[in-house]
Amino acid sequence: MSSEGTALRHNALVYESKDEYLARAVPFLKAGIEAGEGAVVAHTKPGLAMMREALGPEAARVTFVDVSAAYTRPARTLAAYHEVYVEQLRKTPTLRAVADVQFGPDPDEWNLWTGYEAAFNRSFGHLPAWVLCSYDANGTPDPIIEGVWQTHPEVVADDSWNSSDRYEDPDHLLRRITPAPAPLTGLRPIPFGRSVEELREQLARELAADKIGEAQSLDLLLAATEIANNAMQHGGGIQEVRVGRARGRFVCEIVDRGDGFDDPAAGYLAPRAGVGAGLWVARQLTWSTEFFHSPTGFTTRIWL
Amino acid sequence: MIAAECGDSDACRKLVEAFLPAIGDVARSFKNSRVERLELLQEGVAGLLVAARRYDTTLNTPFWAYAAFWVRKAMQELVAELTRPVALSDRAVRELAQIRRARSEHLQMHGVEPTSDELSRATDLTRPQLEHLQATERTPRSMQEQLTDRDEATATIGDTIVDPTAEQAYQHVLDAFEIRDMRDLTQQLDERERTVIRAHYGLGQEAQTLREIGAELGLTAERARQIEAVALSKLRAALSQSAPTGGAAT
Repeated sequence: MSSEGTALRHNALVYESKDEYLARAVPFLKAGIEAGEGAVVAHTKPGLAMMREALGPEAARVTFVDVSAAYTRPARTLAAYHEVYVEQLRKTPTLRAVADVQFGPDPDEWNLWTGYEAAFNRSFGHLPAWVLCSYDANGTPDPIIEGVWQTHPEVVADDSWNSSDRYEDPDHLLRRITPAPAPLTGLRPIPFGRSVEELREQLARELAADKIGEAQSLDLLLAATEIANNAMQHGGGIQEVRVGRARGRFVCEIVDRGDGFDDPAAGYLAPRAGVGAGLWVARQLTWSTEFFHSPTGFTTRIWL
Repeated sequence: MIAAECGDSDACRKLVEAFLPAIGDVARSFKNSRVERLELLQEGVAGLLVAARRYDTTLNTPFWAYAAFWVRKAMQELVAELTRPVALSDRAVRELAQIRRARSEHLQMHGVEPTSDELSRATDLTRPQLEHLQATERTPRSMQEQLTDRDEATATIGDTIVDPTAEQAYQHVLDAFEIRDMRDLTQQLDERERTVIRAHYGLGQEAQTLREIGAELGLTAERARQIEAVALSKLRAALSQSAPTGGAAT
């Protein structure tokens, strides 16, 4: 699946020092600018200041994106980058980007972000973009660096471009590192009516009873609308809806009557012709969305 | 040297003693890093032992010439870990708030600092999780410090850090998300659309039927339903913008 739409070049730069980062990133972007391509730099505020200075007058032709708080959830991060790239591609036919990746300190989240990098290959596979993800080798834990080689077909390290012999098919990697959803006890079935509107009304009552805030309630109602529409159009209708609390979060499961699907990147594919946007929308609005086969049917579990 | 390579603890101890002054010299080069000297020395010793395990005695390279690289690297990594700007995920911020709450409760109840095990039990976080999260709070640099010493640099450390020391950090982050999301999403709607959505689903008010909402707006229930459908479509469109056809590859 990694070759699906091969417009994207998704490479990585593992750097040991600021000088090394600049020595690679600046010529990379300048070559693109000279060729009429768009240029994007994504970094923390100090990184952006450093790049602005290094690019000199060319900085005026570069879009700078502050990613200090961008790496919150993979779907949101993909959406944020997608918005930037789409905006740039309205101005130039192609683009180059250097994006500094920010992993959090929690080892439990590292797989999530390695999965994000894998999903990136499929999510943006159709975009005419050359994206260089940069990783500061100092202080970046080894498992993350290992993940860099597994998720980028080419990696710049030790002053040279290297084809990664550890690159893994994104779907294969996502399946390997995504834990199977465990059954949740404590969810209760709720009536869901005969239409998506009735389901929304019922869910809204549950959200209000659980004292969920306005914005999050709207998020869940929109996400559930997408999942319910999918269930009705492709899944033979809704079989059951369950809600409740788990691990401190509001959870909603929508079970349909169909065979379901088996795509580990479902909902991570950026909108494009021929790809439905429903699951993309649902993932953006929720903490996490899981798709799996359960004893009661094909289940979408939404974590708010 | 060979005994130390093989893991002989006594040989390792002697090796550390012999090279501690040299490790101290390396640590001095990090004096501006604001990481405590003792921590630097500990990391330096760890680097020395890595070097001892990797050192190839057959190459006739002086040991310290080889080991100095590993000692410096270990210290650099520590400095990078403790002083680099950290972008915390909202989950990490939430867990930090949890740790802080557990610590505060323990202090109130027992009058002493909790141990790592006690914090781990109170928060359901594993020891490694706990340590990684706590490491993010050990940033010893001033929040107002300029990130480079050049005059033109304007960003400060404080600009780059999601402040994990605020008591209500988690709630603050969630609020920020909520406010941003709400603003972003509803900005796509006109006032009447907002009114219908909020009233129908009880967002910040009592939920009403489409008939009741229509009556208040001087519309039929069907017209209110149509307004809601348009509003939902607008919100969906705002979240699913695709790349321009001309820009995308075929």
